[in-house]
Amino acid sequence: MGEFFDARLVCEYFPQLLSRLPITLLLVAAATVIGLAVGTVLALFRLYKIPVFNQVAIFYISFMRGTPILVQMFVIYYGLPAVLMTIGININRWDRLIFVILTYGLNLGAFLAEIIRAAVAGVPVGQTEAAYSVGMTRMQTFFRIVAPQALLAAMPSMGINIVGLLQDSSIAFALGIIDVMGKARSIGASTYHTLEAYVGAAIIFLVISLLLEKGCSIIEKRLSMKIIGDRG
Amino acid sequence: MGLNFDINFMFTAMQQAIKYSWVTMLLAVVPFVSGITLGTVIALIRIYNVRILGRLLQLYIVITKGTPVMLQILIIYFAVIQGFDLFAQGVNLSIRSKDINLIYIAFAALAFFGTANISESIRGALAAVDCGQYEAAYSVGLTRQQALRRIILPQALPVALPMLCSNLIGLVKASSLVFMISVTDLMNAALIPANTNYKYLEAYIAAAIVYWIINIVIEKISFLLERRLDARKREVLV
Repeated sequence: MGEFFDARLVCEYFPQLLSRLPITLLLVAAATVIGLAVGTVLALFRLYKIPVFNQVAIFYISFMRGTPILVQMFVIYYGLPAVLMTIGININRWDRLIFVILTYGLNLGAFLAEIIRAAVAGVPVGQTEAAYSVGMTRMQTFFRIVAPQALLAAMPSMGINIVGLLQDSSIAFALGIIDVMGKARSIGASTYHTLEAYVGAAIIFLVISLLLEKGCSIIEKRLSMKIIGDRG
Repeated sequence: MGLNFDINFMFTAMQQAIKYSWVTMLLAVVPFVSGITLGTVIALIRIYNVRILGRLLQLYIVITKGTPVMLQILIIYFAVIQGFDLFAQGVNLSIRSKDINLIYIAFAALAFFGTANISESIRGALAAVDCGQYEAAYSVGLTRQQALRRIILPQALPVALPMLCSNLIGLVKASSLVFMISVTDLMNAALIPANTNYKYLEAYIAAAIVYWIINIVIEKISFLLERRLDARKREVLV
């Protein structure tokens, strides 16, 4: 351990770390899709106050928001195979990445459910009434009037949560996933230049987060142009 | 076949988790308190647009918000451990990094992460106070400090409270990551009995329940405080 920090090594490790970026991005993309689906369904349970499902949703959201994602990951990793085994399905050979994606998707879903619920509830009642008064059906009102406005309102918080998901993905290495973080760890273990490897990974995460944020704000602008743009 | 779940063992693990839950609370509260102190200073510096310092602090916040807590903890850990050894060798000290209690490194790392988030909450709350309030305070002859203490902060506090509550919950959850630098917190304590019989599922569920309870209690306290603040505000207005 001669030198404290060698900036040249950070550059040297970059290609190796970047080669694992697809895993991180796959994790984020797949979990976002699952999260949107779970979040929408849970938000509908809560909005329409469907008995039993509403209470289950409240319980689920509270648990997912109140416990560390690290613990959730292990509960799903050890728990899901055990539960499915009782009905005769063996998933012990599944790739660990599937468990990780499932955890992150389910976790994100809880956060998105609250955002979607607030966004839909935040659309003024007058909008719905106006839609009914021009003769739209319930479905038409929801998809043409309420949903676009709610989507616009939900976009900023959703963006923040997806960036948060990217950062949480760095915990997946605890299950042995070799993503950017896992690669940084293995470089550190084999070369003893741990600090340089982690700083390299931090730079990658920083750049991707900034890009994601930028992307979200561009989508938001496009959406608002499309939805309310012609009003000036 | 039935689900192979040992509920008695879960309670054993839960006892361990509860026994060590003070470590987790300490890991959340110490960075939280230091985060509020430093975070308020940072928020004020950024709100008043202090020239170079404001820019530097903005950079600090972009970096902390753009990188995972996990990496922040690991980088601070390795930087402190390696830096301390080099420093100790340089000045011929007999103590080495292995003598440092790792919980201090955990405090430092979580404070580094928490302060950025807390200062953003406080800045948002300060910005939510109407500009006219500052102007009105100055116009009746209050100094900048008086205006902050008597007019702005009391109005900003109720706005900041829910965000600070979620910052504290974020710190409780982030503190579970100190397993990487082998600090025995709530989660690690729950896992100790599982290391002999591999009943990890029970141990993790036990840990999850204890974390959940802690966070629900934090939420409730914040809710009660909010209501008290609200009631007081109404009293003042009436």
